[in-house]
Formats: sequence, structure tokens, C-alpha cells
Amino acid sequence: MEEPAAFERLVYKNASNFHYMKICLVLENGSRNIEAAQFKQLIVSGLRQLYGEVGAAFPFDLLKFDPGTLTGILRVYNSGLVKLWSALTLIGSYQNELCAVRVTQVSPFLLALSGNSRELELDQASPTGEKLLLT
Amino acid sequence: MSPELEKCSRSLLVCEKSNFTKEKSRYDIHVSKHYFNYKVSIVIPECASLPASIAGVINSFNSYYRVRDLPIYKLLEEEFLEKVVKKGQFYALSYNTRIDEDNTIAFLPSGQLILSVDKDTYEQLGLEGKPSQYKHRKVLRYVVTIDLTDKLMSPGAKRYQRLITSLKEWVPIKCDLMISSKMTAAEEDGGVLQNLLSQYSFEEHRPTLHTHTLKEMPCPSLHSTDRHGDEKSCDPHHFLEWLGAVSMDISSDNEASSFLSTYVCPDPQSLMSHGLLCTVTGFLIPEDIYSLLLELRRYFDEPKFTSWLSMTVHGFVDSPVSWGTTEHGFLKSGENFYNFVCFRNQDYWLHMATGSHDGCPP
Amino acid sequence: MVRFKSRYLLCEVCVEDRSSLLLLEERAIFHAVKTAVARSHGDYGAALLILSFAVKYVNAHTGIILIRCRKSHYRILWSALPFISCLENRGQKVQCLISCLHVGGTIRTCQKFLVKYSTQQLHRMLPHCKNEAERDEVRRAVLSCSLEKERDVEEEEEVEEDDWEDE
Repeated sequence: MEEPAAFERLVYKNASNFHYMKICLVLENGSRNIEAAQFKQLIVSGLRQLYGEVGAAFPFDLLKFDPGTLTGILRVYNSGLVKLWSALTLIGSYQNELCAVRVTQVSPFLLALSGNSRELELDQASPTGEKLLLT
Repeated sequence: MSPELEKCSRSLLVCEKSNFTKEKSRYDIHVSKHYFNYKVSIVIPECASLPASIAGVINSFNSYYRVRDLPIYKLLEEEFLEKVVKKGQFYALSYNTRIDEDNTIAFLPSGQLILSVDKDTYEQLGLEGKPSQYKHRKVLRYVVTIDLTDKLMSPGAKRYQRLITSLKEWVPIKCDLMISSKMTAAEEDGGVLQNLLSQYSFEEHRPTLHTHTLKEMPCPSLHSTDRHGDEKSCDPHHFLEWLGAVSMDISSDNEASSFLSTYVCPDPQSLMSHGLLCTVTGFLIPEDIYSLLLELRRYFDEPKFTSWLSMTVHGFVDSPVSWGTTEHGFLKSGENFYNFVCFRNQDYWLHMATGSHDGCPP
Repeated sequence: MVRFKSRYLLCEVCVEDRSSLLLLEERAIFHAVKTAVARSHGDYGAALLILSFAVKYVNAHTGIILIRCRKSHYRILWSALPFISCLENRGQKVQCLISCLHVGGTIRTCQKFLVKYSTQQLHRMLPHCKNEAERDEVRRAVLSCSLEKERDVEEEEEVEEDDWEDE
């Protein structure tokens, strides 16, 4: 058995390099098939429109994209967060169809995106399937 | 290019390393002071199904009530106050109220009532409060903290009367509440709570359990003594990122040149043949979470393949407090969560994170 | 007193055929710079630039131009200048390249720099002269601007407005 660890406490302030965003694309005429690459391209073109070729040249990741709900999770360096967020807000059309991007959650911790209490629905009965109502 | 575009609001992450067996370690306080918990998620590497003992603990979690349109002063009436609120272990939080838009109400088990209200309501209420951290140039919100266990607040006292008049006549705040109390099951309160609930529309809810088995995925190797990620482990931010990726089913199988995503599992890593991800959602009280933590510690009583397991507890983003009575705000996402990494030798790491408008975790 | 602080960019337009410099016009430069900024910095950059953007001076003989913009955003303009590759005027396209010689806080400092710079250029031209007549001309030119310079030195006692420290 190893020695028990000594007590240690550290406070990190703004130490996270990244910010994570949960976003959702809303199309005027309901949803349709959009692939992850097309979705990222839409964001990149929105960025280029607002900040040009120099201003938009920063990396960001589309960690996950769900084509069914058009919801995605983005990862971006802190320095690019404001740019990305503002560009997302100003995205107005996708292939000549009006659209909007809704930002659901923004956090410096990816873990925080998995526990959003605003998603807690107490009005409907729990849907069956994977969910298991405890007795 | 433009420095004003590159600024970010602050975030805090407090990391602690200690041992469960040490008397000085304060992990139990951190758990019990985080009053409003929305979700617990457990990650156990090299484990195929939820062990029966842990499932048993989760099954014994308290259920909670959701009451519609309850006037707040009803909870402050003498009988209820004496028999339920002051006895402790009474948790209530307004449901579907957003802390950055609406008035939010919370009853802490320590017998405190917290009202986080906008400026107009605050001025109508006429109660003493403090300006909230959520402000720009002008103060837009106020937090009123009332200690109900205070002698001056006992029924009949002047300040108590004033509080009742405020909430009953001046600003009759009504809201949906989530209520949980350890005593409801034991009926120690003489049915006062049930009596009150029956006057309004209410439902009883059970915490919801999801389990998910992870297969064939990379997993960072952790070493209890090396927490800063110097050699043998990865640093806390990378680890929390990985945990988030696991709980949201994000692929970490990416090339550095990939167009979509360049996220990879942090180094040093090892391959995990299978793992268990289990989440419990609801209005969970700290006592239940503490018993779950104790059970998780016992997981290592028998020899296991893994050297660590993790438990993450997310707070309510719209709760007016994070730990104790420390103010909690929303700004970008209102995160307030903590994460335990328990090791085989009863060492633990504790990560506590809050967002921009929050006080520092304890 | 609060005033808007500006930056003046002293630039030189380089073209292959010097006679095409005569086509230089404020409007053409204005449009070329605006388009370049919009391309490299997008709507955001273009909007910031337009705040106090102006072409203050164009010398169609030497190809020297002076552009003004807000001090806080001059980097946007500065970084976009290298992306200008041609100027268009009255339907004629001229291949060119704009190199920034000096960034100053006032027109006066830019002018001083320009005089100094031009003198240097003349000195460098001297060894390349082919005959006596050319040499004489250059000498006269050098002399004429050194007179200008002396007058400037007297004025230098005044406090310069140029303030860089808050960057």
C-alpha cells in the first residue's frame, strides 16, 4: 500500500485554455439533412463574413454534431470565444434559407455541459426506453 | 488583433488532494455544503455493469416533490417553520426560474431563506439585502438572506411580522418549488409537510437513473500522488475535459489534421476495454450523495482492475448559492460542480469549479 | 479636453511603370483600402475602419500617400495594406504594391519623416547618376530639402503630440 497523500489545495483562476459551447441550428422550414462538415463550414463562412480572412483564422473544433436535432458542441480557445460567439449570432442563412444559431450553454468546462439543470423537465412523464424509473 | 475581442470572464477551479481516512480532510463538508444537486454521474473504468451495492444506494435516494404556485409565506407560517424548516434537512428551490431573469427562492437546510430578486421586487419587498455580483454599472439584482433560526426571526417578533407582510401583502411571490426533506418519509414532522402539499397541486418524483457502458476507448492514466500532471497523470483541466467527453459521448478518435475536431484523449493514456457511466438526475440532497460517495469508497474493498473511479456532482445552474451561502450567478452557463476521483488507497482528488459570478468554493 | 486620437500611415505606392502613378486618385485608394480591409478583417474590421478613415494626401508624382484612421484600430488598416495588389481608376487597373513607410500620430511628424526619408533617398541616388547634369540636379534637390530641414529643427522645441505610450 502506498503512503496516503498529503493534503494539498490549489486554486486555478482562468486556467482553462478552452471554452465549450453547445449550439443548435434552427432552420426556417424545419430540419433537414445537414452533415457535420457542412455545419462546420457554415460556421467558418459566418466567421469569415464578420471577421475576414485574418480575423477568422483561428482553430476551433466541432466535438460532436447530432444531425437529428442539429445540435453541436464546439471547442474554442479562450481568445477566439468572443469572435466565434458573435459570428454565430450573426449567421442568418444557410443555402438561401433563413436560419438562426441558438447558443444553449457556454462554459470553460466541458463537463459542465453534460449537466444543465435547465433541461430538467418535470412536467412530462419520463419517456421510456433507456431511461429507467426507479421504484 | 483586437484585444477587446480576446477577453474572457473568469472561471475558478479549486483542486484538493488528500486521503479519506485523514481526520483533517474536509470532503464531507464540501459534499454537505453543496445543497442543490441536479445530477450525479459516476465513471468506473473496467466495470461492465452497475454493482448491486451502488445500485442499492441509488435506489434508496430520497424522492422529491414539485409543488405548483405555492405562495412563499406558507412555508414561513409558524407551524411549518417550527416543525419542518428549523428541524434542518429541508431543501427547497424554485423550479423553472432563471437566476438571471426571474426571482429565485431557496430554503437551505441550515434554516436560511435566500431570495435572489430583481431591483423592482427588492424595492417593493422592503427587506434588507445585498447587491448581487450580477451587475454592470448599476445594481440590477439583490440577494436577501434571512436566517430563520435567528431569535429575532421567531414567530411573533417584529422582523418576522415584517417578513410575512412583505411576502403576503406587498409582493405575494408565488412559484413552483422543488422540495425535498429527509424527514418526509419518517413522518417526524407530524404530517405538516404533507398537509401543506395537499392544499396545492403537487407531484412526487423519483431520481432518474441512466446507465451506459463504454467500450474500447482510451482513458487517461491517473496516479494519486501526481496531481499536477507532471509525469504520470494528466492535469486537472484535461482530465475534466476527458470526463466531459465521456459523459457526452464525444469521440476522441481524431487526427491532428482533421477538419472537424482535433480532440484527443490526454496523455499518458491506456486503453480501457469497457467502462461504466451512470447518471442520476433529479433534485438530489447532499445526504444521499454522501452515502453514495461512501459506497463508492467501498468499491475498492475487493481487488479491482481499475485504480480509480470518479464521481461528478452538478449543481443547479439557477441556484442562488453554490457552496454554503456563497452567492452563485449565471452569466454564461452558471456551472457549479464538483468531482471526486477516488483511488484504491483511499486517496482522493477533489475538483470544485464555479463560473464568473460566483464566490470561490470553500 | 478629449479628442479622438488618430494614426497617420505614410505609404508609398510602388508601380512598375512610374507614369501610371499619375492615375493615382484619392477615391481609388479609398476604395482599394476599404475592400482590402473588408476582405482580411471582415464586416467588423471594415466598420471599425470607417469611423475616421480618410485619405489625407496623395502625391501623384512621387506615389506618396497619407492615410488617417483611429489610433485604437490602426493595426487593422496596417495589416490589410500588404493585401492590396492593384488600384483601379477610370476603368484602368494598375498593378501595385503599397508599402508603409511610417506610422505617426500627427501629419506633422509624418511630414518630417518624409523629408528625412526623401533626403536619404536622394543621397542614395547620387552614386547612380550617369552624367554631370543629373548629378547637379540631385545635388540641388538635396540642398533644397536640407533648407526645409533646418526650419523644422527650430520648430522641434514644441511638444510633440505623438504619444505612443498607451498602446
